[in-house]
Amino acid sequence: MPRLLLDSWQVVIGIETHAQIKSRLKLFSKAYTAHLDHSSNTRYNVFDASFPGTLPRLNRKCIDLALRAALALNCTVQKRSSFDRKHYFYSDQPVGYQITQHYAPFALNGRITLPKFDLPVRIKQIQLEQDTAKSTFNPRTKTSNIDLNRAGTGLLEIVTEPDLRSPEEAAEYVRTLQALLRAVGVSDGNMEAGSLRCDINVSINRPGEPPGTRCEIKNLNSIKYMVAAIKHEIDRQKAILTSNDGLRQVPQETRGFDQDRWETFKLRSKEDAPDYRYMPDPNLGVLIIEKARIEETKSNLPVLPSETRARLLTQYKGLTENNVDILLNLDANRELNYDGDEAIVDGQATLGAVAYFEELCRPARNPKVVINWMTQNLLGQLSSLELAFSSHQIPASRFGELIDLVTSGQLTRPTGKLLLKHMLTNDIPVVTSVKELAQELDMLLVPSSKSTSTALFASSEDDALHQICLRAIDALPSEIAAIKAGNSNVMNKVIGWVMRESKGKADVKRVREIINSSIQEIG
Amino acid sequence: MRANVALGRTCFRLYSTFSRDYRAAIHEANPGINAFVSVSDKIPSKDGPLQGTAIAVKDNICTSSMKTTCSSAMLENFTSPFDATVVKLLQQAGADIIGKTNCDEFGMGSMNTHSVHGPVINPFRPKEKRSAGGSSGGSAAAVAAGMCDAALATDTGGSIRLPASYCGISGLKPSYGLISRWGVVSYADSLDCVGVMAKTVPEVKRVFDVLNVHDAQDPTSVPTQTRLDARRIVEEDLDSGSWSGKGSLDGLTIGVPQEYFPSELSSFITHSVRKLLVSLQHLGARVVPVSLPSTSYALSAYYVLASAEASSNLARYDGIQYGLRVPPPPGADTTKTSKVYANTRSKGFGEEVKKRVLLGTYALTADAFDNYFLQALQVRQLVREDFDRVFRYPNLLGRLHQDLDVVEPHAQTQVENENTTLHGVGQGRVDVLIHPSAIRTAPPLTFGLDKEVKGSSLDSYVQDVLTVPASLAGLPALSVPVISSPPENVKHQTREENEEKGGWPIGASIVGQWGCDELVLRVGRAVEEIGRIS
Repeated sequence: MPRLLLDSWQVVIGIETHAQIKSRLKLFSKAYTAHLDHSSNTRYNVFDASFPGTLPRLNRKCIDLALRAALALNCTVQKRSSFDRKHYFYSDQPVGYQITQHYAPFALNGRITLPKFDLPVRIKQIQLEQDTAKSTFNPRTKTSNIDLNRAGTGLLEIVTEPDLRSPEEAAEYVRTLQALLRAVGVSDGNMEAGSLRCDINVSINRPGEPPGTRCEIKNLNSIKYMVAAIKHEIDRQKAILTSNDGLRQVPQETRGFDQDRWETFKLRSKEDAPDYRYMPDPNLGVLIIEKARIEETKSNLPVLPSETRARLLTQYKGLTENNVDILLNLDANRELNYDGDEAIVDGQATLGAVAYFEELCRPARNPKVVINWMTQNLLGQLSSLELAFSSHQIPASRFGELIDLVTSGQLTRPTGKLLLKHMLTNDIPVVTSVKELAQELDMLLVPSSKSTSTALFASSEDDALHQICLRAIDALPSEIAAIKAGNSNVMNKVIGWVMRESKGKADVKRVREIINSSIQEIG
Repeated sequence: MRANVALGRTCFRLYSTFSRDYRAAIHEANPGINAFVSVSDKIPSKDGPLQGTAIAVKDNICTSSMKTTCSSAMLENFTSPFDATVVKLLQQAGADIIGKTNCDEFGMGSMNTHSVHGPVINPFRPKEKRSAGGSSGGSAAAVAAGMCDAALATDTGGSIRLPASYCGISGLKPSYGLISRWGVVSYADSLDCVGVMAKTVPEVKRVFDVLNVHDAQDPTSVPTQTRLDARRIVEEDLDSGSWSGKGSLDGLTIGVPQEYFPSELSSFITHSVRKLLVSLQHLGARVVPVSLPSTSYALSAYYVLASAEASSNLARYDGIQYGLRVPPPPGADTTKTSKVYANTRSKGFGEEVKKRVLLGTYALTADAFDNYFLQALQVRQLVREDFDRVFRYPNLLGRLHQDLDVVEPHAQTQVENENTTLHGVGQGRVDVLIHPSAIRTAPPLTFGLDKEVKGSSLDSYVQDVLTVPASLAGLPALSVPVISSPPENVKHQTREENEEKGGWPIGASIVGQWGCDELVLRVGRAVEEIGRIS
């Protein structure tokens, strides 16, 4: 993607992102944070409802998560930051102001690199603030309903410098930020669920000339809308700047995006901008982050997606970028825990997809084989069972055993898949090894003298295979004739017949040998 | 000692009788005083240090069993879903929360005339219809009229000390951050303090000691360690013999700030406070003049900051979640949320509250912020520095910056003291300051009304000159009654001077360094004793 548009306009984009902090409790109250599926007005307390006499109490867990985000974004965490009240009257703000960090934000001067474009984007600042309540207007009854569930949830506002130059870069920035926030356990970053929202500043100018007047598009809640809004805004501003009449000047405005008309519309002009009467919050004082705390968070910071990506590609030969993307996406979409806690199921930490993969590779398994089993078999079967990936669906050790049984030829690949499905859908006692299980299910391969060391003890089974092959020759005379005539492709059909008869237990190689020698014997 | 214990036991056995007596007294006297706006009929029977003590609570402190109106039409029928921490503490200590007291609306006023419940009549001589002072006029009058043992009140710029002075009782505004504000309806958070009023200083102390604990629900509540540090510094000093605090005042240095004797000060008061200082000298105290040069700016700074915070804190009263709701009249402009709210807010707030909300709103606008709000913050810092210069104790509040628990807002105006030790000494030589609590005795309820018609209501604000500096600096200040002694050879008697006649109560304020509440109470006790002996 060229950093200049074809018709020689430069596009300048900056993004303010509001990410809900995945904390168990809200930013300043001890009420639980809410999901979308909680019924209205069930997750709030007297503070969130702005009752007289209530006071804020900063949730330390939110600070821990903000610290992680700031460090993951390479920001300088401010030793002293403070909270301010931003005043405005609106029904989604029961107390009449939002507590934010206007005068002294939490962290400054960071940077994030978009891997797809190898493009660094500067982060101007990160500030902590409260989310609002949700007010929904019913035009028929002309009434507003207020839901306090979201009121007071912790938000991180992450502001970039105007370093983005195209809708695609903007989209990639948001995707990269989402993955990063999820990787460090700070936010779900889910735009559909509203846990990540973007305000976009767009301006255009001729290269070499000073930046144009920017317009801010508020509250975009999907990447698709964001790209559409930016594209529309570019066209709109271009039309103004190239029109034959008027001032040829883009008026500074705050705009919204109409999802039905697929275009931006004016919310208010610069002159109508409200005066928020920022005031230092007299209750919360100065937030002091000591160096030791920063260092501690730094040393415990989960590994960032960019680092994992680079490491996987160098460490595991045969892994493609696509493979790595699949693993990273799986981890990015993992259900996050509150307060950045480790996921614990049945008293055991669960593994993410990357960790699961690495666990599988550890006993010198071929990474290529492992990733294929994971992506082609495990993920496919999980999705057909409508299950999400989790290391608890099948522990890595058991999946590894299964893979080994196939690689060592004790199980055919199709039977292996069948066994995997069985293991995913049934409760299997831990004491039973995968091989024992396969044995119980009569799935183990009919061993052949050549391919297994147990051939000597299994000659009777080999005899049984001989019997089936002979029956196949009887049952498929025209196919046998074709093979004799040199059409070796037909062999697959014969093998298929044998496989069916043997319930998939036959060793393909051995079947081929038996059929070939039998044909020769028959002459 | 033994006798006291025996007496105590008798008192406890009789507590319910006392509680009933107080209720009878309220029944009889309150209609003419208007101190109580709610009376509880529940008499508790819990053991504890305050068992049998009837305590009234200012109506801006939340109680779940009685309404909390803040004397505002906005909350006229509001009952809080929870009890304030201070109320809980009193209940746990066995106190009888006897009722809720009248006050100026949301604590804004100096005369207790801005109340939806009507004005409080000073019980000293109710017939004269004088003000009980404000904003905690109801609490002061309830104590003075013998309707309870003690009262909780709040003080933002003098709201405890002024009514205490006018009503002739003791009133303590403790150091900022010692008593929890959880459940106290905010007027200006950075200045609001809960305090105690009672007839005697030991009674004030008895209640204060129960309330003086850390509360995790109040982010400005001082951690226990800082409380201990402050207490240790004062006690080590007292033990080292500079001042024993028992009877004799040898070694005590009292500062008299010259700026606290303005021209508006009544000569009765000047004279009475002078006599008090002489008595203290006789007991061995050293009295030295000191200067607090920023005092003259304090009043303006106070009104900018208090009004700004008030405009913010009172934004929540919009008629949606609770309280009064005035729906927009038919055909009204409802295009903006603020226009819908305006109906409720115009009706629900009284004139004084509206005035301060408007002033505060203006002070916070982008155009005015630097010239008003920031300037006021700087003056506040100067006022603090004035005090720090005269006290011999270090200011622990200024260096309190524990992780997440820092009290003072606005880093740029805060002095960094991180390298000094807790044992550091103050810059000055004064233990406490003593000055008049008010510039006059209780004014008639009509005071200032005629002037307000002419458009100048500054006089009612001048009353606050002597009290706001300690509020801005967060210092402990105790008003104690002193003997009224008329100046000799008064030739020209003004109307004001006539009003001072007749022995109307006069109060002196004892102000200490932050955290020196114990010391302030000890000196207050000595001042009280002087009054008793004579």
